[in-house]
Amino acid sequence: MSNENKDQEYREIFLAEALENYTEINRLLTVVEKNVHDASSVQALFRITHTLKGNATGMGFDKIAEMAHVMEDFFGEVREGRILLGNEIFTSVFKAADVLGELIEAIKTPRDVKYRGIKTKLEIVIKNAKPSADKDSSAAKTQPGNVVASKENEQITTLGTEETPEPEVNNEAEHEVESTNVTFSDLVQVPVKKLDNLLNLVGELVIERDRIIANTASGHSSNEYSRLNRISSDLQYSVMDVRLVQVGFLFNKFHRIVRDAANKESKVVKLKLEGTETEIDRNVLQVISDSLIHLIRNSVGHGVEKPDQRKTKGKPEEGTVTLSASSESDNVIIKIKDDGAGIDPAKIKAKAIEKGVISAADANQMSDRDLIGLIFEPGFSTMDHVTAISGRGVGMDVVKKALDSIGGTVNVDSMIGEGSIFTLSLPSSMAVKSTLLFDLENQTYAIPLSYTESVISIYKSEIHKAANGLIAVHLGHTIHVVFLADLFATHTEPKKKRYQKFDQLHQEQKLEIVVVFFNGKRIGFVVDKLLQQKEIVEKPLKKPYDSIPFLSGVTILGNGNVCLSLSIPGIINSILNNQTSKTINA
Amino acid sequence: MSEVNHSTAAGQTLARNQQIVVFKLGQEEYGLSIDQIKEVVITPTVTRMPQTPAYVKGVANIRGNVIAILDLEEKFGLVRNTDADFKGNNYTLVIESDEYKMGILVREVPNTLSISTSSIENSIFTGDQQAEQSYIVGIVKLEKQLIIMIDIFKVISEQEGQLFKKQDEVAA
Repeated sequence: MSNENKDQEYREIFLAEALENYTEINRLLTVVEKNVHDASSVQALFRITHTLKGNATGMGFDKIAEMAHVMEDFFGEVREGRILLGNEIFTSVFKAADVLGELIEAIKTPRDVKYRGIKTKLEIVIKNAKPSADKDSSAAKTQPGNVVASKENEQITTLGTEETPEPEVNNEAEHEVESTNVTFSDLVQVPVKKLDNLLNLVGELVIERDRIIANTASGHSSNEYSRLNRISSDLQYSVMDVRLVQVGFLFNKFHRIVRDAANKESKVVKLKLEGTETEIDRNVLQVISDSLIHLIRNSVGHGVEKPDQRKTKGKPEEGTVTLSASSESDNVIIKIKDDGAGIDPAKIKAKAIEKGVISAADANQMSDRDLIGLIFEPGFSTMDHVTAISGRGVGMDVVKKALDSIGGTVNVDSMIGEGSIFTLSLPSSMAVKSTLLFDLENQTYAIPLSYTESVISIYKSEIHKAANGLIAVHLGHTIHVVFLADLFATHTEPKKKRYQKFDQLHQEQKLEIVVVFFNGKRIGFVVDKLLQQKEIVEKPLKKPYDSIPFLSGVTILGNGNVCLSLSIPGIINSILNNQTSKTINA
Repeated sequence: MSEVNHSTAAGQTLARNQQIVVFKLGQEEYGLSIDQIKEVVITPTVTRMPQTPAYVKGVANIRGNVIAILDLEEKFGLVRNTDADFKGNNYTLVIESDEYKMGILVREVPNTLSISTSSIENSIFTGDQQAEQSYIVGIVKLEKQLIIMIDIFKVISEQEGQLFKKQDEVAA
């Protein structure tokens, strides 16, 4: 039952989008009709028809896809200047747009729409524009579809006398506009900005609620606020729920990407989708969409082997890339799995040394897993030659950065000869974060729990100076210890000694340390006092201080003070960068 | 902002009156066009931020908005009074535009003043080409006062450049 609902939902979303596209096409066409040299409008038409084609293909509306495809080709030619727009051609294009509208309408109220005539006509126009080149493709285009051939012929014959069918089409188009208004009523499109604003306000409300409850907790019984508590929580989750979209909406676009990528490399690859109904915050999906495209292309480009290679290895000629999503408590896990060649750690090692990403001595000490992790280093690519779809050595580090920015992680598992799995762990919502609050120099900070491994309490005497850093051993793990206060101070007072704070401490002083784990590094931050675990509504920083690497955002505490939320990736990357620059200097 | 002044001045009579907000920084008086200022509030608790220049005092919660708080005295290198009558920066001017929102620390409640646009002297030479061309809009000369008119958003955009430069250095 739920599946049917989803289908219905997709159809409605597609319908709303398609109708919007259709309206936009008509608007742009009138613009272009008035000024045939308006290149940007032609470009916009090209883009819209392209999008429509893609969406229709994804939804399985072949007729719309075919029609949109021809129109896309047409506007492509116009854009290239190979077709000059005249009155006669405009008549055809407008008619094509009308037919497209009818086809879209036909999804709602199924009926037979004759579209092949106008489609063929446009194809002829396109063919005339480029006399020799594309006979094959246009011939191929007319082939698919299940309309009886005789009907097609009939349509073509009416081409010459197009005046007769046209008024009828126009009437229908008008009729259709009336019924269109009804479609919009059960699906409202809202700009994301408005949703963001709504979420912000709800966040305020929750903060304000916490403040009031905290202030009056002593005097009144907490029962008095339980209703307020519940309603505001429900409100918060409802608003967050509105922002959730199904990953399938993005996943479905990958069929085409996989196909194109496989074609370019003359490979045969099929895409398998799993867990498409998993829900995730729309903003998260937006941030990672480029990364996903990149990873998928990589799986096709680097992972899956050519058919003959696969055959000799005893695998089916057709490679499989599986894209799956699942929910895991607060996170959404997306996996990209291929059954290709796998990543060879030895190759990565050689390449990393050659490119100077790491030194040979370091490389020899690294585990295979760590070596594979090197593909996320900037400027790294194992492809010996640059191909059109992958292998430029930009990308994997961008993927990592995109994930860092939203508090997600990426891991690779790979077996030589069997394939690789890229696992992305993403927050299902960007708005609410589980954090640990702590005090440092009379100020409260929040540290995201997603990176926090443990909280330990050790004596100063257990911390040792090693080379340029401080090290402690806890439960068999070596932890690099950093005094957050010193780290924050080094940026305003660079001359301040790195271990001033450490040296000032008494030997028997007990230190509270928050241990975080990120990117294979385990680092302990010394804080003054641990407070509590708290779900915070994180607000982004405002311009011009919206890009401070150490901070991911701010929140307002119950007492009205601002609490800074730390960005663990930002801090750790900064620590690592400082160390590398030091070794270079030395 | 100066462009807006130009256009309005050109549109109406030249000797139009303009409202400015005057506040003291160090021993000098600075002025801002009133439409750049949203409100004046008692300085709330300021939370220090790492990785920002020293004149960025931190962020504060002003009516649910978290905004950066700047100390222009420090920014302009004006000598800070350490004598007894210094009671701290008690007030914050809240500045708002479409892009930015921030607070500026001042010691006393600022005055509003109505001046004639013609009394703003636009062409001034202070010896610092950069500052002149960027954020100093002009000088207002009154009987006993000299007010330096600044365009606060240009001050901010200059800072922004510095901030990024600083980060680059850190990264390098």
